[in-house]
Amino acid sequence: MSYRLGCGIVRVVINMRLKGIRRFHYARDLEEALSLLSAYGGRGAVLAGGLDLARSARADLEGLIDISGLGLSYVRAEGGGLRIGATTTLTDLLESRPAREYLGGFLGEVLRQVAAPPLRNQATFGGAVVSAHPWADIPTVLVALGAEVSFQDEAGRHKGLLEELWEKPFRHIFKGAVLTEVILPPWDGAFAFAKLTRSAYDIALLNCACGLGIQDGRISWARVALGATPRRGRRLPWLEDLLVGKEPGPGLWAEVKELVPEKVEVGTDRRASGDWRRAVAGPLLTRCLARAARKVTGGNL
Amino acid sequence: MKIYLELNGKQRYEEVAPGESLLSLLRRLGMKSVKQGCATGDCGACTVLLDGRAVRACTVFAPQVRGRRVTTLEGLGDVDDPHPLQEAFVEAGAVQCGFCTPGMIMVAYELLSRNDNPTPEEVREAISGNLCRCTGYVKIVDAILLAAKWKREGKWR
Repeated sequence: MSYRLGCGIVRVVINMRLKGIRRFHYARDLEEALSLLSAYGGRGAVLAGGLDLARSARADLEGLIDISGLGLSYVRAEGGGLRIGATTTLTDLLESRPAREYLGGFLGEVLRQVAAPPLRNQATFGGAVVSAHPWADIPTVLVALGAEVSFQDEAGRHKGLLEELWEKPFRHIFKGAVLTEVILPPWDGAFAFAKLTRSAYDIALLNCACGLGIQDGRISWARVALGATPRRGRRLPWLEDLLVGKEPGPGLWAEVKELVPEKVEVGTDRRASGDWRRAVAGPLLTRCLARAARKVTGGNL
Repeated sequence: MKIYLELNGKQRYEEVAPGESLLSLLRRLGMKSVKQGCATGDCGACTVLLDGRAVRACTVFAPQVRGRRVTTLEGLGDVDDPHPLQEAFVEAGAVQCGFCTPGMIMVAYELLSRNDNPTPEEVREAISGNLCRCTGYVKIVDAILLAAKWKREGKWR
């Protein structure tokens, strides 16, 4: 080993939190990535952007498997919905034409509020799904949108609703599986996103995504998810049921605002108290609902 | 392991450790403009361009840049031949301690390479993840807008 390399390794110990990494692999295809994952038996991790891994402190990891060369960076429009390859960066998604056209540019509205541009250049959409931090904005949005994911393990290909996958021990699942695609369904209506935070760069103290369809002046369907509660984004079925069949407008929003503190499940973490979250959830949700309703009606509300 | 990369326009073949950060590699190669601040991707002091996109060198594993183009501030200009962005930072008084300046300039370079007429709001969004503890950001925004004006006037080389 050269002196120069020796210096490098000393610096690695100083700079990196992942101190146990011994091998870095460039997977040539999905099968190779899965085979490597299996061989590491939980001590290997897949990366594309690598952002979360580089910030983590997983002392157990010995091998990194780079899947950025597997052709999983794409955004395709299909039947009014979107198919997003797992290694697509947030910036590439934000700038892609299909994403700009999906739901009137809703994804752009969300992603411009997620992290700083250099982090969006590195972070991948699949990484956001697999990491699924409780405070993150993207999981809340994907739950509201009814996103599905495709992933592959050694047993074969799987597809499922993200909302259901996140209720399972999904981190364990992805120790032996590779996420390949996120599928966003078409919706005849509009979605809006809102979060409470000091800036886009800060972690949300509370976030929400709302989708509404309106027919003959009444709400025909509703999708509402609240996240960073401090738990990961979840739908609010009681609120969705309440909204359907009602006439959107200030009267309905006032009714929602009154009910939210009593019905919403929030808690305390080091960022905010449960009492504070309970107090602000109503205004945040109604602001988001009103924005979605205005989008559907073209501002006539 | 050995990787090939293009660093500031020059082809390099370098030995890297599998878990080494790009920040560590670049500092080792003498790119001292790339500062270690937080080492968690939060402060922006180590921002470099990877295939023309600004990224945090502390959150990129060195093996990830195999076959890719890395640009640091040293690749834009130096004391003898500063880049117009560097000149704009001096002209606008946007440098105090200077620790954040290389990262700010790399982020600004990416912004102006895509949009040479940004609004102040767009500049603020671009630098939103780069922390400066001295200037209060106003003069940094002024400097980037000045560099954009120079670019529109054809004063960039």
